[in-house]
Amino acid sequence: MVLKNNLKVVILGLTVILTIISIYLALIYTPSHETMGDIQRIFYFHVSSAWVSYLAFGVTFVAGLIYLKSRDLKWDTIAFSSAEIGIIFCTLGIITGSLWAKPVWDVFWRWEDIKLFITLVLWLVFIAYLALRANAKSRTSKANLSAVFGIIGFICIPLSFGANRIWQQYHPTILASQEGSLQASMAFALIVAVFAFTFLYIYLLLVKVDVERMKETIDEIKQQAGG
Amino acid sequence: MVEFRNKQMINIYLILSLMIIASFRFAFSIIDFSLNRLASPILWISFFFAGMFSLSLTYKREIEQGTGEGLLLAPISLSSIYLGKLLANLLVISCLELFTLLIFFVFFPVDIPDLLTLLTLVFFGTIGIVALGNIISAISSNLAQSEVMLPVLLVPLLLFTVVMSVVSATSKVFAGAHLLDVINEIRFILAFDVVFIAAGYLLINYILED
Repeated sequence: MVLKNNLKVVILGLTVILTIISIYLALIYTPSHETMGDIQRIFYFHVSSAWVSYLAFGVTFVAGLIYLKSRDLKWDTIAFSSAEIGIIFCTLGIITGSLWAKPVWDVFWRWEDIKLFITLVLWLVFIAYLALRANAKSRTSKANLSAVFGIIGFICIPLSFGANRIWQQYHPTILASQEGSLQASMAFALIVAVFAFTFLYIYLLLVKVDVERMKETIDEIKQQAGG
Repeated sequence: MVEFRNKQMINIYLILSLMIIASFRFAFSIIDFSLNRLASPILWISFFFAGMFSLSLTYKREIEQGTGEGLLLAPISLSSIYLGKLLANLLVISCLELFTLLIFFVFFPVDIPDLLTLLTLVFFGTIGIVALGNIISAISSNLAQSEVMLPVLLVPLLLFTVVMSVVSATSKVFAGAHLLDVINEIRFILAFDVVFIAAGYLLINYILED
């Protein structure tokens, strides 16, 4: 327990330090983009939120698989906590992306862009995941059903990549393409931002899992006292 | 198969699809639009919602009437229950869709497309809908408010995978394409069907066992 608390403090410290550095790098240190100007600065946080949401949903999928294998409710708690954090970051990613898109693309949303589409589908799937958990009848059925649903939901994501046949790629592929590649300072700022968000995710996950455990303990005590 | 014994039920399904098609016709009677281009989404949205009502009862009926336990006690694997339900649903929903298609052609004056291709697409698309719908129905029947939960869980998974690809293929058919023109799409939909059936076959154990 002490070790775990120490770990949490270390991760919290890293998160705070990296976030402050990353804000400095993104807003002050990096030069303005040649074509987009200062609007481009939102990109550091947009990419990081999107990355964390994909990571979180991936963790939900893996934890769901491990739960079905081991039947240890600990993994179910991790899966649920990660899904909830993933939705927050997914929402942040969609909002920051829309804010960026309005001045650059002149619209908030492009239905034909594959990345936007997939992110929206993911968001909807995991909203449904939370709705499922809210309506489960018992603790184990909640864990079983949501694990199965999380797995099916995750399988559907690559499938909807293929389903959207008319998709076009408007999304800037900054890291992959040659001509749009980042200046060294921008790449550095992005990497720091991604690390800051990842540590924030890990910290939130640890806290959320603890909160969920406490909730379960309270429920147990309530049942003992009441019955 | 209870649907066919219980005439009341199948009649309600048929009336429901009539209502859905009629409401689409009403919605599009007041604006100017190209019937041939909208035919495919209208058709599939009708299939999807009419089919969902049939799917929602698949497992719920067993629980309500207490036959589910008998089914679980039977000396067959849970996966065979899934496959059995899949075939039964496929039959019921296919009949429903043929009827919907008939009403559709009555209500909407579209150019009659290549029927063989259309029916092939409808059939393979339906397999996908039923395969995934079946397992989601098993999940939702174990939840509170199961009637609402089925569409909530099913729409994000199904609409953006099978339904989306089958709609784009069907609109090609309404634009005059033949079987060989949409063979790639059909292969794709078949791949969905296989993945969904495999997922249902493997995962149903975890849903039904408790």
